[in-house]
Amino acid sequence: MKKCSALILALLMALSLAACGGGGDGGAASDAAQDSGGGSVKITIFNSKSEIQSQFEEMAAEYSKATGVGVEVYFSSDTVAAHMATRYASNDPYTLAMVDAKDVYSLGAEHAIDMSGEDWVANTQYAVSVGDQVMGFPVCVEARGVMYNADAIEAITGTPFVPSDYATLDAFKGLLETLVAGGMEAPVGIMKEDWSLAGHFLAETYEEQPDVFAYVDGLYAGTSTVADNEKFNSLMDFFDVMKQYNYAAASPIAAEREVSEQKLAEGEIAFMFGGNWDWSMINAYDYSEHLGMMPVPQNLDDGDNQKLVGGGSKFFFIDSSEYTSDEQRQAAKDFLNWLVFNEDGNKFLTEDCALVPAFSNIAAENLDPLGASVKAYADAGNLIDNYNYLPDDHYSMMGAEMQKYLAGQEDRAALAAAIEQYWASTTPVAR
Amino acid sequence: MKKNTLSYKCQQYAMFAGVSTAAFVAVVILPFVYGLYLTFTSWDGVSKNKPFVGLSNYTATFSDTAFWQALGRTVIYSAISVILVNVVAFALAYLVTRGVKGQNFFRAGFFIPNLIGGIVLGYVWKFVFNRAFVALGTSFSIGALSTSWLATTGGAMLCLIIVSVWQYAGYMMLIYVAGFMSVPKDLIEAAQIDGCTPNQTMFHVTVPLMTSSFVQCLFLTITRCFMVYDVNLSLTKGEPFNTSVMAAMHVYNQAFTYKKYGVGQAEALILFIVCAVVGVTQVYIGKKAEVAA
Repeated sequence: MKKCSALILALLMALSLAACGGGGDGGAASDAAQDSGGGSVKITIFNSKSEIQSQFEEMAAEYSKATGVGVEVYFSSDTVAAHMATRYASNDPYTLAMVDAKDVYSLGAEHAIDMSGEDWVANTQYAVSVGDQVMGFPVCVEARGVMYNADAIEAITGTPFVPSDYATLDAFKGLLETLVAGGMEAPVGIMKEDWSLAGHFLAETYEEQPDVFAYVDGLYAGTSTVADNEKFNSLMDFFDVMKQYNYAAASPIAAEREVSEQKLAEGEIAFMFGGNWDWSMINAYDYSEHLGMMPVPQNLDDGDNQKLVGGGSKFFFIDSSEYTSDEQRQAAKDFLNWLVFNEDGNKFLTEDCALVPAFSNIAAENLDPLGASVKAYADAGNLIDNYNYLPDDHYSMMGAEMQKYLAGQEDRAALAAAIEQYWASTTPVAR
Repeated sequence: MKKNTLSYKCQQYAMFAGVSTAAFVAVVILPFVYGLYLTFTSWDGVSKNKPFVGLSNYTATFSDTAFWQALGRTVIYSAISVILVNVVAFALAYLVTRGVKGQNFFRAGFFIPNLIGGIVLGYVWKFVFNRAFVALGTSFSIGALSTSWLATTGGAMLCLIIVSVWQYAGYMMLIYVAGFMSVPKDLIEAAQIDGCTPNQTMFHVTVPLMTSSFVQCLFLTITRCFMVYDVNLSLTKGEPFNTSVMAAMHVYNQAFTYKKYGVGQAEALILFIVCAVVGVTQVYIGKKAEVAA
């Protein structure tokens, strides 16, 4: 009896050791890998869009079957930069890595190959170039603006909702008042996340400047001002209106993103500032049919209230190090071409993943409502470019200031002063 | 065979401690030395070249007010948490060694929070603070509960402390339970026969004999509180307004999110020194106070 239990115990311990070993070589515990076997050449792909990981894994399996190229897809919930750092530190880079534009700029020169000669370059205006070399393959188009729930609005106003009727802040405010009078107590949600407040909303106050580069250079040098800037004040006026009608006005910092998205999806609120990536959360709820995105309403008549802010989002680059073979690099190039020029590749991007395509030759009929709005604005040339050179700590530092403003702990003058002070004390990002 | 020669001693050492020494060097000493080297570079965490910049990371550290604020916050958080964890743990240990009915069940129950990972624990409590408390507050119109504590500066710290106490009290309780059990019954009886009141027995006989438990518990709680990261990340993420960013989180952000690896590493070193000084001092004082039965 004793011998028997000792044996079982030993076996259990050995098994648990083996289990530890198996988990250990994957690096971070949150990493998920899908090995689809395949032929002689094997490429690894890093996917940084969590919402399409399962689609990616299925696609990898089918792609391997069709082409004989083994494809492994990885995902990490770490920040992109931190995850790439660990992979490079362990001399095990991905053949193909999906990163943000700023990562292409910071990693490209050392780690990416030039793809200028690829056929797809002619079909997109969103590729990222470092110097005169094309290094980033745009995965999709994403844009920011005000998300609306037309069904909820129409239920109260009784007339069809046409976003362009509410392009000015005055008209928008009038609509909010109508909604309140019609029984929707607080028609607005505000995400308190720092990446949304500073990375997305505050960034628009730079991006909508007549010359964003000159303006930001001026901020670094202390010659551009924020407090008396027309665009800053125009956008903050909009923010004040949103604050006023916020459903969580009593405790705005306690608003949870999940709750706000659900309220928007189900029509309990009508508006929220966000982007088409929010669809991945909205579609988890019982959403009403007519949702969409519109530009941020502003009283300035410079045309910015007709445009969303955005462009290419998430970029693939191919590793240039000696740890990746030329065959692997070729396979990676083939894969990118497959995405752009093969019907199955197109279907994967636009239907399976519901991404707004960044290539002119790809048609997209079955996009989600937010994506369809973005595509309409993109096709009409109504996108204001992203500014991809914000300092890495901008969203966090300025996010804290925006949160203070949102919570009413800081007025606009103090916020503006904090923004000016932040830029003046930050080392300029090379571009 | 001579047993006094150097080679014999070396052989003996290699035989008994060689493997663990090698492992220790590989996973602790080498990374530490390498990390020390990185504090003198302006590495961004990814690049192939690591430019040598001398002491500029240390000057950056000393002028990084956010780091010192985070460190100060960590000291306050640790001081309050350490006291509360140990008081609660000691009280629980006292209760579950009195022979109450079902005390083994209670011991297991109090210990369970420690088995849940910090990340999960943070999310669970986030729900409690954000939803459950607020729902209670609004339905019974209790003013203090009607808005989420996590949304206020002091409240977020309070939440962190509450969760830490809940997490660690059970673990420390086990050590105190062992301490209570190790006090010889005859000494207690002798004290009672000599006319000690229960309070006197507790503070003049039991507690002094449990000093080693106190030393251990204090050391564990101090080091864990100083290094807190997981609960910090999942419960508050530094919010609101970055006023609940603890030292470890600030270091992580510097190194990996803001890509200032050298500065982050230098700050980690300072955090290590602070932690080591506090921990070693506490153990030294504690050991001196220990008495033998």
